[in-house]
Amino acid sequence: MEMRSNHAKLQVHSLTKHFGDLGVLVDVNLSVENGYFVSVLGPSGCGKTTFLRIVGGLESVDAGEIVIDGHPISGPGRDRSFVFQMDSLLPWRTVWENTVLGLEISGTVSDDKDRAMALLKLVGLSGFERYYPKQLSGGMRQRVNLARALAVNPEVLLMDEPFSALDAQTREVMQTELLRIWENGRKTALFVTHQIDEAVYLSDSVVIFARRPGRVQEIVRIDLPRPRPLSIKRTPHFIEYVDHIWKLIEKDVTAPSNVCG
Amino acid sequence: MLSGVHILSRARNRSVWATTPQLSRRALSFISVAVGLAAWELIGRFLVANSLFLATPLQAVEALGNMWIGGELQRHIWSSTQEFVIGFLIGSASGIAIGLAIATSRNAAAIFNPWVAGLYSTPIVALAPLMILWFGIGIWSKVAVVISVVVFPVMVNTESGIRATSPHLIEVARSLCATRWQIFAKVSIPSAMPYILAGLRLGIGRGLIGVVIGEFFGARAGVGYLIVQSAEAFNMPAMFAGVIIFAAAGIGLTAAFQALEHWLLRWR
Ligand SMILES: Nc1ncnc2c1ncn2[C@@H]1O[C@H](COP(=O)(O)OP(=O)(O)O)[C@@H](O)[C@H]1O
Ligand SMILES: [Mg+2]
Repeated sequence: MEMRSNHAKLQVHSLTKHFGDLGVLVDVNLSVENGYFVSVLGPSGCGKTTFLRIVGGLESVDAGEIVIDGHPISGPGRDRSFVFQMDSLLPWRTVWENTVLGLEISGTVSDDKDRAMALLKLVGLSGFERYYPKQLSGGMRQRVNLARALAVNPEVLLMDEPFSALDAQTREVMQTELLRIWENGRKTALFVTHQIDEAVYLSDSVVIFARRPGRVQEIVRIDLPRPRPLSIKRTPHFIEYVDHIWKLIEKDVTAPSNVCG
Repeated sequence: MLSGVHILSRARNRSVWATTPQLSRRALSFISVAVGLAAWELIGRFLVANSLFLATPLQAVEALGNMWIGGELQRHIWSSTQEFVIGFLIGSASGIAIGLAIATSRNAAAIFNPWVAGLYSTPIVALAPLMILWFGIGIWSKVAVVISVVVFPVMVNTESGIRATSPHLIEVARSLCATRWQIFAKVSIPSAMPYILAGLRLGIGRGLIGVVIGEFFGARAGVGYLIVQSAEAFNMPAMFAGVIIFAAAGIGLTAAFQALEHWLLRWR
């Protein structure tokens, strides 16, 4: 974790957040370099969503600062976009209308139309422009969410367990798809998950969150070559990373001070 | 077989009724109406057989034809249509506007809510005689009655629709830097659309009742006026002709509106 690095795209300084008496995040510090794919991994309830919402400017902080390209943020901004965990498509809009929602809001649909169309093609939804969300499978919906987030051409892509509602097979497909799409442009990405193998497979670095209160326990650099085929999950190197992270998390989960209650 | 699982051949016994349930139900409805009308015709002819109390469907249709040829019916229909259309348009537009205001502004809510609470469950048509007194026996008193009965369901539904907007979808728009107005226009209003349309559909029914009641209390023309006039003259065929016109208007308008609703809400 290099603090205040020169090529830092995203910096988190001494972030602290409480909900009433509950300390959700305490003194979180992080720096993410431009073009890196970083996962935030932790058990549920450890504050991952809160953390990501704060970075997205959707939640206030008690103390600390989020800096993007050297500028502290003060709310949502066009430099970041979000892929949510919950179903987030506007049901009355078609695939195309959902994809260009952010462009409509910034008034740039006509300028960015070609790029949005290329994006729909990239996420594999050419030909589905006029479909409504109810006509799509869960995986297809998350593809649209991804296209919508990328359409505004953000500096940082924020994803909160985007595949957690999908079945195991679709989830693996979407992981490879996400990497394929991400390779095309390599935007700085912050990806929240509670699945170790997902974090290892996708990321350049995995930030392990400890819980109660949420804080950075450890950062594990993943030195696996890219592009990564799905079969990489069966290589000894990959399995070592997963084991290593398991042991780190196990310590936190089984430590007596962290027992629920 | 050894795996303990095998594929069964497809089931073949599909009944005729199961393949066309909608068609057969439609036939049932049709038969039901036909039997009802036939029973009415027979009762009117042979059992009650007193045209001072009951007209048969055929007599009513005959009266319709005669009044149409005389040109009298068109005048009544035109009058009632004007009252309904003008009243419905003003009533629903103000209902939507006030509903949106209440849902988005606490001041507007403070101003309107006591009135809504007091008047929503009051049978407002009771004010019809007052409207006649204020606006005379021309169409405007009836327009006022229609407005007063249409405005409430539309307003209340609009407000609940806006309030029912998913906070998550609002947050989605917020994350894409939407302004308050953009959130309202692109998320809240479309999401409230099913509620607003349901309110308008209720308004159609209430508005028709408003026309009838308004005309009962004083009018120079209109289908409701035709009904009271005919009843007072014991002209049962003409009276039932009026009722048939209102029934047809109710069924037709509701069906047309449902088709519109179905199309507008095709995303559901
Ligand atoms: N808006 C809120 N108000 C109060 N408590 C909250 C709120 N959001 C989250 N929490 C609490 O903060 C903790 C962390 O939640 P969250 O960030 O959603 O964790 P995760 O995403 O890691 O599962 C949980 O105990 C949760 O109950
Ligand atoms: Mg979460």
